[in-house]
Amino acid sequence: MTLKIINMAEKIKDAEDRLLESLFESPPLADDGFSARVVSRVNRQLWFRRLTLPVAAVIGGAVAFKPLAGLVMTLANLSFLIPEDIVIAASSSIPQFQTVVLGAILLAVGLLSLRLLEE
Amino acid sequence: MSSSTDNDLVARAVSGQDSAAFGELVRRHQSHVRNFLRKLSGDYTLADDLAQDCFMHAWDKLQTYSGRGSFIGWLLKVAYTTFLQSKRKSKRYAEILDSAGHVADQESRSHVAPDDEVTDLDKFLAVLTEEERAIMVMSYACGLSHREIGDATDMPVGTVKSVIFRGKQKIRNSFDIKDHKHG
Repeated sequence: MTLKIINMAEKIKDAEDRLLESLFESPPLADDGFSARVVSRVNRQLWFRRLTLPVAAVIGGAVAFKPLAGLVMTLANLSFLIPEDIVIAASSSIPQFQTVVLGAILLAVGLLSLRLLEE
Repeated sequence: MSSSTDNDLVARAVSGQDSAAFGELVRRHQSHVRNFLRKLSGDYTLADDLAQDCFMHAWDKLQTYSGRGSFIGWLLKVAYTTFLQSKRKSKRYAEILDSAGHVADQESRSHVAPDDEVTDLDKFLAVLTEEERAIMVMSYACGLSHREIGDATDMPVGTVKSVIFRGKQKIRNSFDIKDHKHG
Protein backbone atom coordinates (compact mmCIF):
# COMPACT_ATOMS: atom_id res chain seq x y z
CA MET A 1 0.00 0.00 0.00
CA THR A 2 2.75 2.44 1.05
CA LEU A 3 4.74 1.45 -2.05
CA LYS A 4 1.70 2.13 -4.25
CA ILE A 5 1.30 5.59 -2.75
CA ILE A 6 5.00 6.30 -3.30
CA ASN A 7 4.77 5.14 -6.94
CA MET A 8 1.66 7.27 -7.53
CA ALA A 9 3.34 10.28 -5.97
CA GLU A 10 6.29 9.69 -8.27
CA LYS A 11 4.01 9.63 -11.30
CA ILE A 12 2.44 12.97 -10.45
CA LYS A 13 4.71 15.34 -12.27
CA ASP A 14 4.59 19.08 -12.21
CA ALA A 15 5.23 21.38 -15.15
CA GLU A 16 8.89 21.69 -14.19
CA ASP A 17 9.34 17.91 -14.31
CA ARG A 18 7.73 17.75 -17.74
CA LEU A 19 9.95 20.60 -18.93
CA LEU A 20 13.05 18.84 -17.63
CA GLU A 21 11.94 15.62 -19.34
CA SER A 22 11.62 17.40 -22.67
CA LEU A 23 14.97 19.05 -22.05
CA PHE A 24 16.75 15.77 -21.26
CA GLU A 25 15.02 13.96 -24.11
CA SER A 26 17.32 12.77 -26.89
CA PRO A 27 16.43 11.26 -30.25
CA PRO A 28 17.11 7.49 -30.35
CA LEU A 29 20.58 6.72 -31.67
CA ALA A 30 20.87 4.59 -34.80
CA ASP A 31 22.62 1.29 -34.21
CA ASP A 32 25.12 1.81 -37.10
CA GLY A 33 26.81 -1.53 -36.48
CA PHE A 34 27.24 -0.92 -32.75
CA SER A 35 25.45 -4.11 -31.67
CA ALA A 36 27.29 -6.14 -34.35
CA ARG A 37 30.62 -4.93 -32.90
CA VAL A 38 29.56 -5.92 -29.38
CA VAL A 39 28.34 -9.36 -30.54
CA SER A 40 31.59 -10.01 -32.42
CA ARG A 41 33.54 -9.12 -29.24
CA VAL A 42 31.31 -11.49 -27.27
CA ASN A 43 31.86 -14.28 -29.82
CA ARG A 44 35.62 -13.71 -29.73
CA GLN A 45 35.54 -13.94 -25.95
CA LEU A 46 33.47 -17.16 -26.10
CA TRP A 47 35.95 -18.78 -28.51
CA PHE A 48 38.85 -17.63 -26.38
CA ARG A 49 37.29 -19.17 -23.27
CA ARG A 50 36.49 -22.42 -25.05
CA LEU A 51 40.05 -22.73 -26.33
CA THR A 52 41.87 -21.62 -23.18
CA LEU A 53 41.41 -24.79 -21.11
CA PRO A 54 42.33 -27.35 -23.80
CA VAL A 55 45.32 -25.29 -24.96
CA ALA A 56 46.48 -24.79 -21.37
CA ALA A 57 46.05 -28.53 -20.74
CA VAL A 58 48.15 -29.42 -23.81
CA ILE A 59 50.90 -26.92 -22.94
CA GLY A 60 50.83 -27.95 -19.27
CA GLY A 61 50.99 -31.62 -20.26
CA ALA A 62 53.93 -30.99 -22.59
CA VAL A 63 55.80 -29.04 -19.92
CA ALA A 64 54.99 -31.51 -17.16
CA PHE A 65 55.58 -34.69 -19.17
CA LYS A 66 59.31 -35.10 -18.50
CA PRO A 67 59.27 -34.39 -14.72
CA LEU A 68 56.06 -36.40 -14.36
CA ALA A 69 57.59 -39.38 -16.16
CA GLY A 70 60.64 -39.11 -13.86
CA LEU A 71 58.36 -39.00 -10.81
CA VAL A 72 56.46 -42.06 -11.98
CA MET A 73 59.69 -43.99 -12.55
CA THR A 74 60.99 -42.99 -9.12
CA LEU A 75 57.75 -44.07 -7.49
CA ALA A 76 57.86 -47.36 -9.40
CA ASN A 77 61.42 -47.95 -8.19
CA LEU A 78 60.40 -47.15 -4.61
CA SER A 79 57.66 -49.75 -4.63
CA PHE A 80 60.16 -52.24 -3.13
CA LEU A 81 59.79 -50.27 0.13
CA ILE A 82 56.31 -51.69 0.55
CA PRO A 83 56.66 -54.67 2.91
CA GLU A 84 56.87 -57.87 0.86
CA ASP A 85 54.17 -59.70 2.83
CA ILE A 86 51.69 -56.90 2.01
CA VAL A 87 52.63 -57.12 -1.66
CA ILE A 88 52.23 -60.89 -1.64
CA ALA A 89 48.95 -60.68 0.24
CA ALA A 90 47.66 -57.95 -2.06
CA SER A 91 48.90 -59.72 -5.19
CA SER A 92 46.92 -62.78 -4.28
CA SER A 93 43.72 -60.77 -3.80
CA ILE A 94 44.37 -57.95 -6.31
CA PRO A 95 46.18 -58.89 -9.51
CA GLN A 96 49.10 -56.59 -10.43
CA PHE A 97 49.05 -54.65 -7.15
CA GLN A 98 51.91 -52.37 -8.20
CA THR A 99 50.05 -51.27 -11.33
CA VAL A 100 46.98 -50.42 -9.27
CA VAL A 101 49.03 -48.31 -6.82
CA LEU A 102 50.77 -46.55 -9.71
CA GLY A 103 47.43 -45.96 -11.42
CA ALA A 104 45.99 -44.46 -8.24
CA ILE A 105 48.97 -42.13 -7.87
CA LEU A 106 48.72 -41.06 -11.52
CA LEU A 107 44.98 -40.43 -11.14
CA ALA A 108 45.56 -38.27 -8.07
CA VAL A 109 48.31 -36.28 -9.83
CA GLY A 110 46.07 -35.89 -12.91
CA LEU A 111 43.11 -34.62 -10.90
CA LEU A 112 45.33 -32.23 -8.99
CA SER A 113 46.77 -30.88 -12.26
CA LEU A 114 43.30 -30.40 -13.73
CA ARG A 115 42.17 -28.52 -10.64
CA LEU A 116 45.24 -26.29 -10.82
CA LEU A 117 44.59 -25.63 -14.53
CA GLU A 118 40.97 -24.74 -13.86
CA GLU A 119 42.01 -22.28 -11.16
CA MET B 1 13.31 -13.09 -31.26
CA SER B 2 12.11 -9.47 -31.48
CA SER B 3 8.86 -10.39 -29.69
CA SER B 4 10.65 -12.01 -26.73
CA THR B 5 10.77 -10.11 -23.45
CA ASP B 6 14.07 -8.91 -22.01
CA ASN B 7 13.88 -11.58 -19.30
CA ASP B 8 13.40 -14.36 -21.91
CA LEU B 9 16.43 -13.12 -23.82
CA VAL B 10 18.52 -12.92 -20.65
CA ALA B 11 17.52 -16.49 -19.75
CA ARG B 12 18.50 -17.71 -23.21
CA ALA B 13 21.79 -15.81 -23.20
CA VAL B 14 22.73 -17.15 -19.76
CA SER B 15 21.63 -20.78 -20.14
CA GLY B 16 22.94 -21.43 -23.63
CA GLN B 17 25.68 -18.78 -23.86
CA ASP B 18 23.54 -17.53 -26.77
CA SER B 19 25.28 -14.48 -28.22
CA ALA B 20 22.40 -13.88 -30.67
CA ALA B 21 19.94 -13.42 -27.79
CA PHE B 22 22.40 -11.05 -26.14
CA GLY B 23 22.77 -9.23 -29.48
CA GLU B 24 19.03 -8.58 -29.50
CA LEU B 25 19.30 -7.10 -25.99
CA VAL B 26 22.13 -4.85 -27.17
CA ARG B 27 20.08 -3.72 -30.20
CA ARG B 28 17.13 -2.86 -27.94
CA HIS B 29 19.04 -0.88 -25.34
CA GLN B 30 22.12 0.54 -27.07
CA SER B 31 20.47 3.90 -27.68
CA HIS B 32 19.57 4.43 -24.00
CA VAL B 33 22.99 3.32 -22.76
CA ARG B 34 24.92 5.40 -25.30
CA ASN B 35 22.78 8.48 -24.66
CA PHE B 36 23.23 8.05 -20.90
CA LEU B 37 27.01 7.81 -21.22
CA ARG B 38 27.14 10.69 -23.72
CA LYS B 39 25.34 12.96 -21.27
CA LEU B 40 27.50 11.75 -18.42
CA SER B 41 30.89 12.08 -20.12
CA GLY B 42 30.16 14.82 -22.66
CA ASP B 43 32.52 13.03 -25.06
CA TYR B 44 30.69 11.08 -27.76
CA THR B 45 33.62 8.88 -28.84
CA LEU B 46 34.54 8.03 -25.26
CA ALA B 47 30.87 7.35 -24.48
CA ASP B 48 30.58 4.85 -27.34
CA ASP B 49 33.78 3.08 -26.22
CA LEU B 50 32.42 2.95 -22.68
CA ALA B 51 29.09 1.64 -23.96
CA GLN B 52 30.91 -1.26 -25.65
CA ASP B 53 32.80 -1.98 -22.41
CA CYS B 54 29.51 -1.72 -20.51
CA PHE B 55 27.87 -4.38 -22.70
CA MET B 56 30.92 -6.64 -22.32
CA HIS B 57 30.70 -6.29 -18.52
CA ALA B 58 26.95 -6.94 -18.77
CA TRP B 59 27.65 -10.15 -20.74
CA ASP B 60 30.10 -11.30 -18.06
CA LYS B 61 27.70 -10.51 -15.22
CA LEU B 62 24.42 -11.44 -16.93
CA GLN B 63 23.77 -14.32 -14.51
CA THR B 64 23.67 -11.80 -11.64
CA TYR B 65 20.57 -10.10 -13.12
CA SER B 66 17.80 -11.41 -10.90
CA GLY B 67 14.85 -10.36 -13.08
CA ARG B 68 13.54 -8.04 -10.38
CA GLY B 69 13.33 -4.49 -11.71
CA SER B 70 13.76 -3.51 -15.33
CA PHE B 71 16.66 -4.80 -17.40
CA ILE B 72 17.49 -1.26 -18.55
CA GLY B 73 17.79 -0.24 -14.87
CA TRP B 74 20.30 -3.03 -14.30
CA LEU B 75 22.12 -2.13 -17.52
CA LEU B 76 22.42 1.53 -16.52
CA LYS B 77 23.90 0.42 -13.21
CA VAL B 78 26.59 -1.47 -15.17
CA ALA B 79 27.06 1.59 -17.41
CA TYR B 80 27.45 3.93 -14.42
CA THR B 81 29.98 1.58 -12.78
CA THR B 82 31.90 1.33 -16.07
CA PHE B 83 31.95 5.13 -16.32
CA LEU B 84 33.22 5.55 -12.74
CA GLN B 85 35.91 2.87 -13.23
CA SER B 86 37.09 4.54 -16.43
CA LYS B 87 37.23 7.90 -14.68
CA ARG B 88 39.30 6.46 -11.85
CA LYS B 89 41.66 4.86 -14.37
CA SER B 90 42.09 8.06 -16.40
CA LYS B 91 42.66 10.02 -13.18
CA ARG B 92 45.41 7.58 -12.18
CA TYR B 93 46.84 7.81 -15.71
CA ALA B 94 46.84 11.62 -15.50
CA GLU B 95 48.60 11.43 -12.11
CA ILE B 96 51.26 9.13 -13.57
CA LEU B 97 51.77 11.51 -16.52
CA ASP B 98 51.92 14.46 -14.11
CA SER B 99 54.49 12.75 -11.95
CA ALA B 100 56.49 11.95 -15.09
CA GLY B 101 56.39 15.64 -16.03
CA HIS B 102 53.97 15.38 -18.96
CA VAL B 103 50.97 17.60 -19.49
CA ALA B 104 47.88 15.42 -19.57
CA ASP B 105 45.45 16.16 -22.33
CA GLN B 106 42.55 14.58 -20.47
CA GLU B 107 40.91 17.90 -19.65
CA SER B 108 40.88 18.97 -23.27
CA ARG B 109 39.46 15.59 -24.31
CA SER B 110 36.57 15.55 -21.93
CA HIS B 111 33.25 17.28 -22.51
CA VAL B 112 33.60 17.52 -26.27
CA ALA B 113 30.25 18.07 -27.88
CA PRO B 114 30.01 17.60 -31.64
CA ASP B 115 30.47 20.58 -33.94
CA ASP B 116 31.06 22.94 -31.01
CA GLU B 117 27.34 23.38 -30.41
CA VAL B 118 26.68 23.79 -26.71
CA THR B 119 23.03 23.11 -25.98
CA ASP B 120 21.10 24.27 -22.94
CA LEU B 121 21.25 20.70 -21.68
CA ASP B 122 25.08 20.82 -21.79
CA LYS B 123 24.97 24.05 -19.76
CA PHE B 124 22.53 22.53 -17.26
CA LEU B 125 24.60 19.40 -16.87
CA ALA B 126 27.71 21.52 -16.33
CA VAL B 127 26.32 23.03 -13.10
CA LEU B 128 25.62 19.59 -11.66
CA THR B 129 28.05 17.31 -9.90
CA GLU B 130 28.81 13.95 -11.52
CA GLU B 131 26.47 12.13 -9.16
CA GLU B 132 23.65 14.63 -9.67
CA ARG B 133 24.15 14.45 -13.43
CA ALA B 134 23.91 10.66 -13.43
CA ILE B 135 20.78 10.64 -11.30
CA MET B 136 19.06 13.44 -13.21
CA VAL B 137 19.79 11.72 -16.54
CA MET B 138 18.52 8.38 -15.22
CA SER B 139 15.36 10.06 -14.01
CA TYR B 140 14.52 12.54 -16.78
CA ALA B 141 16.19 11.02 -19.86
CA CYS B 142 15.81 7.29 -19.16
CA GLY B 143 12.56 7.43 -17.18
CA LEU B 144 13.81 5.24 -14.31
CA SER B 145 11.82 5.24 -11.07
CA HIS B 146 13.45 6.48 -7.87
CA ARG B 147 13.67 2.88 -6.66
CA GLU B 148 15.44 1.78 -9.87
CA ILE B 149 17.84 4.72 -9.60
CA GLY B 150 18.50 3.73 -5.99
CA ASP B 151 19.34 0.19 -7.10
CA ALA B 152 21.54 1.48 -9.91
CA THR B 153 23.52 3.87 -7.73
CA ASP B 154 23.42 1.88 -4.47
CA MET B 155 21.63 4.74 -2.73
CA PRO B 156 18.52 4.78 -0.56
CA VAL B 157 15.40 6.11 -2.31
CA GLY B 158 15.32 9.09 0.06
CA THR B 159 18.84 10.11 -0.97
CA VAL B 160 17.92 9.78 -4.66
CA LYS B 161 14.96 12.11 -4.11
CA SER B 162 17.07 14.68 -2.30
CA VAL B 163 19.75 14.57 -5.03
CA ILE B 164 17.06 15.17 -7.69
CA PHE B 165 15.63 18.01 -5.61
CA ARG B 166 19.09 19.57 -5.24
CA GLY B 167 19.79 19.17 -8.97
CA LYS B 168 16.53 20.84 -9.90
CA GLN B 169 17.24 23.66 -7.50
CA LYS B 170 20.70 24.22 -9.01
CA ILE B 171 19.26 24.33 -12.52
CA ARG B 172 16.46 26.67 -11.38
CA ASN B 173 18.94 28.98 -9.66
CA SER B 174 21.36 29.05 -12.58
CA PHE B 175 19.00 29.34 -15.54
CA ASP B 176 15.59 30.38 -16.63
CA ILE B 177 14.52 26.93 -17.79
CA LYS B 178 11.40 28.20 -19.56
CA ASP B 179 13.46 29.46 -22.49
CA HIS B 180 15.67 26.67 -23.82
CA LYS B 181 16.69 24.75 -26.90
CA HIS B 182 16.53 20.98 -26.77
CA GLY B 183 19.72 19.02 -26.20
